[in-house]
Amino acid sequence: MRILILCQLVGLLAAANAADEKPFVIPPKLAGLLAAQGKDGKPAITPEQRAYFDGLNDHLKELLGKAAEAEIITRADHLATILTLGLRPQKMELVLQDNCVLCHTDPEVQKPETLFSFSPAPSGASAHLNLRDLVDDVHLRRGLSCAGCHGGDPANDKIEHSFVKEWPGIGRDKDRGWVVSFCTRCHADPDFMNRFNPSLPTDQLAKFKDSPHGKLLLETKNPRAPDCLNCHGVHGIRNAKNPLSKVNRKRVPETCGACHANPTIMAGLTLPDGSPIPTNQLAEYRASVHGRAWLERGDLGAPACNNCHGNHAAMPVGLSSVSQSCGLCHAGNASLFDGSKHKQAFEEHKWPQCGQCHGHHGIAKASDALLAAGPEALCTKCHQQYAKDHPECSATAAYFYASITNMDRAWHHFGDTAELLATKGLDVDPIHDKLNELADSLKQTRSHIHAFSKNGFERVAAPGEKAVQSISLLVEAAQKEYRLRQMGLVASIALIGLVMLTLYLKLRSLER
Amino acid sequence: MNNSGHGHGWRGWIDRRYQITPLIEFLRHKEVPRGPHSMVWYYLGGTTMFFFVVQIATGVLLLMYYQPGEATAYESIRYLTIKVPFGWLMRSVHCWSAHLMIISLVTHMFSTMMLKAYRPPRELTWVTGYILFALTLGFGFSGYLLPWNKLAFFATSVGTDLVKSVPLAGNWLLQVLRGGPDVTANTLYRFFALHVVILPLAFVALIGVHLLFVQRQGMAPPLGAKGAPRGIKFFPSFALRDLLLWLACFMVLLVLAVFIPYGPGIPGMDWELGEKADALAPAFPGIKPEWYFLWEYQLLKEFPPHVLGMEGPQLCLLVVSLLLGIWAIIPWLDRRAQREQPSPGFSDFGWGAILFLTFLTLKAWDIGATKPASAAASLQAISWTCAWWTLGAGAAIIAIRFLVHGHRLFLLTGAALLHVVLHGFLGLSYLAAGLLAAVLAAISLTVITFRNGGARVKQGGSP
Repeated sequence: MRILILCQLVGLLAAANAADEKPFVIPPKLAGLLAAQGKDGKPAITPEQRAYFDGLNDHLKELLGKAAEAEIITRADHLATILTLGLRPQKMELVLQDNCVLCHTDPEVQKPETLFSFSPAPSGASAHLNLRDLVDDVHLRRGLSCAGCHGGDPANDKIEHSFVKEWPGIGRDKDRGWVVSFCTRCHADPDFMNRFNPSLPTDQLAKFKDSPHGKLLLETKNPRAPDCLNCHGVHGIRNAKNPLSKVNRKRVPETCGACHANPTIMAGLTLPDGSPIPTNQLAEYRASVHGRAWLERGDLGAPACNNCHGNHAAMPVGLSSVSQSCGLCHAGNASLFDGSKHKQAFEEHKWPQCGQCHGHHGIAKASDALLAAGPEALCTKCHQQYAKDHPECSATAAYFYASITNMDRAWHHFGDTAELLATKGLDVDPIHDKLNELADSLKQTRSHIHAFSKNGFERVAAPGEKAVQSISLLVEAAQKEYRLRQMGLVASIALIGLVMLTLYLKLRSLER
Repeated sequence: MNNSGHGHGWRGWIDRRYQITPLIEFLRHKEVPRGPHSMVWYYLGGTTMFFFVVQIATGVLLLMYYQPGEATAYESIRYLTIKVPFGWLMRSVHCWSAHLMIISLVTHMFSTMMLKAYRPPRELTWVTGYILFALTLGFGFSGYLLPWNKLAFFATSVGTDLVKSVPLAGNWLLQVLRGGPDVTANTLYRFFALHVVILPLAFVALIGVHLLFVQRQGMAPPLGAKGAPRGIKFFPSFALRDLLLWLACFMVLLVLAVFIPYGPGIPGMDWELGEKADALAPAFPGIKPEWYFLWEYQLLKEFPPHVLGMEGPQLCLLVVSLLLGIWAIIPWLDRRAQREQPSPGFSDFGWGAILFLTFLTLKAWDIGATKPASAAASLQAISWTCAWWTLGAGAAIIAIRFLVHGHRLFLLTGAALLHVVLHGFLGLSYLAAGLLAAVLAAISLTVITFRNGGARVKQGGSP
């Protein structure tokens, strides 16, 4: 009996194994497409595409087979396009189950203006038809494909379109406010969004509605006002962390600049004070310390447009919020300024604190010359006009300037000297330590300018001035050490020379 | 034991015990032969030994502070250089002396070769000298890694990697040399052992044998000299001159160590400590070995990845081994010198070798490079400039040999220069140019041999 049961078990296991090991048979039509040859007699499916196909699991092969049997994929070049995408299994499954995508990637069926391809631009079609963008879209990955926005049934192989009711039938391009409503059907619904990405905020609509952009679009109904798609794109919407996303930090200046650097789009639009909105911000930003730090050096600490202006609630930085905005990063300087006499004076004059001296989009590297009496001087220029009765202020500025430039000169001079001494083999580590102290002090004194207080300045300048004295002594000691080495060398050479002379004389006397 | 001794006092006391009188008599009668050539060539062995003694002395002092190990090697050398009194001087003298020792040794070897001092009965003196030369290169290579700085680390990685090209045992040899697949602290430990124990022991033993041979056979008399030539007395005349020269060398060493403590800064002759080695850091740009390995480094670059069904580095290693092998057995190849006859062919071979090494070394130094150095135009400019320099040096050598020494055979010197011209001026690849020059040299040699009745090529005035 036991033997019988055992035999049955073995038989069952063998049958199961046999079922597992059953190889996938490529359906005949799909096999035909895979084996098809191009007009030049070469295989229509490249070895790379074939290798991708061979690596697919049986389920995906079956879906491809079904598409071929249903004659949705009828041509080898159509199949080649699908395989070239090289998608991961999960995404490929979505694509193969979506007849919209399958049909709109068939060059035989579609006109150029409705065909999804890898390079839609040369054919004169809309740039929205880029196939790579389509499959990379963050919505497709979450299962929201064509039908999610355009309507219709992607499982249906009959050609029919039924646009969703939120799409206005006519005048879609004149009043684009419907786009915001359409996107926020989902994006303003926390319950719905939680199912996909719980960390994604859902307050975009609330912010946008009250922003100048939102008011222009939703209230004024200005056709030049931006909607969601202007910043996020259409089919190629990607996560903001993706470098290809239009709202990725690296691309934000370019995305904002697409409108704000375009005089035609910005014509007639004004700031809250009634002045026309300038269009040179992008150019200024690119040349500024912030723009160069971020766009050229990739410094993550540097701001892009949205860091000061906001994202969905983007608006001009108000007079009172300039220092708050700058202070987010330059906290030390902002706090020093807040405690200074200048804060009150600036408020009285309604000056935009930081921006008054440093500018806005085109902020240049602050130079010590701003403190001096020359053409770049800011202190004297302002004080001559608004505070003539405070001569002590000019004296303080002159003291700041003299103190900082002295330390700066010393830092450069001793830095070069240390390098030279190092090449002579001397110990320059103590000099470097003191140079670091000097650099720290120099940085702090430049920052303390914002407090406009002589006492505070002297306190942070003292370690720097002390460091200059220490370095001077250390350099002197190192130079003395080097002279000592030279003296030692001269003495050694004299001694050796004397021995040599003695030997030479001895040699001569021996050989005479 | 014979207890009879000469004299009284301490000398008699020692002589009665150790019988030093025969030794003193030997030294008293020892002479250094004179000849038509300059006496300066006889002092180079002595200067090499002097620099070696300096190496031992400064090396021992460095050893008192040096601590091998991944966390200590760099730190200890840094401490020694900047904190220990006169530590900088010891390291600087050690490094300078190493380079001067190699310069002295190479000059000694080439002068021995040109004067045919290797001829019987001094074949083994040549061979021991040759091994000493190889050991010295080993000293240089192993010592380079010890400071465990960035440049040394990557240069050693690249240098040891070459061992992989040895057929069959390449990978095994690499593992043995590195103490693992990569350059790690294990490599440092074995290089340290090699540098301070194994190589010094082998070197001292071999130098003993080399000196013993020289003492037993005396210094080589000029070629063709009959009988025992009259020369200058070894004691005191030659020894005192030796001492004078050593003191002069010592002076030069001190001046260089004080004024240029980290070397002249040319590739392969720069020992500024820089940053500590970091295996995870990107490879150091422009890694080059020390100057005496540059010719081989450049030769490797001239070989394409695959030649004649072999890997380029393998073929290069084969060519280098062949050349070095020929160099080692020259005493047996030079039949004319064995018969005390001038052998201008071998002198020509020596000069050809010098030009061959010069061109490769100049190229490795990127002389004449334009920016960027990797661009094809720049490589062409380097070849062009180095070819001019080598051609100039070659012309000077030929003129001096022709006018001063009366040499008439310039076949191999000419082939080396032709190689340079074809490669540097006409843009032929280094290998193709070399092959063409070698074929032309072989044809010319055959023609000359036949024209002279197959008996002898025209003899030069002096060897």
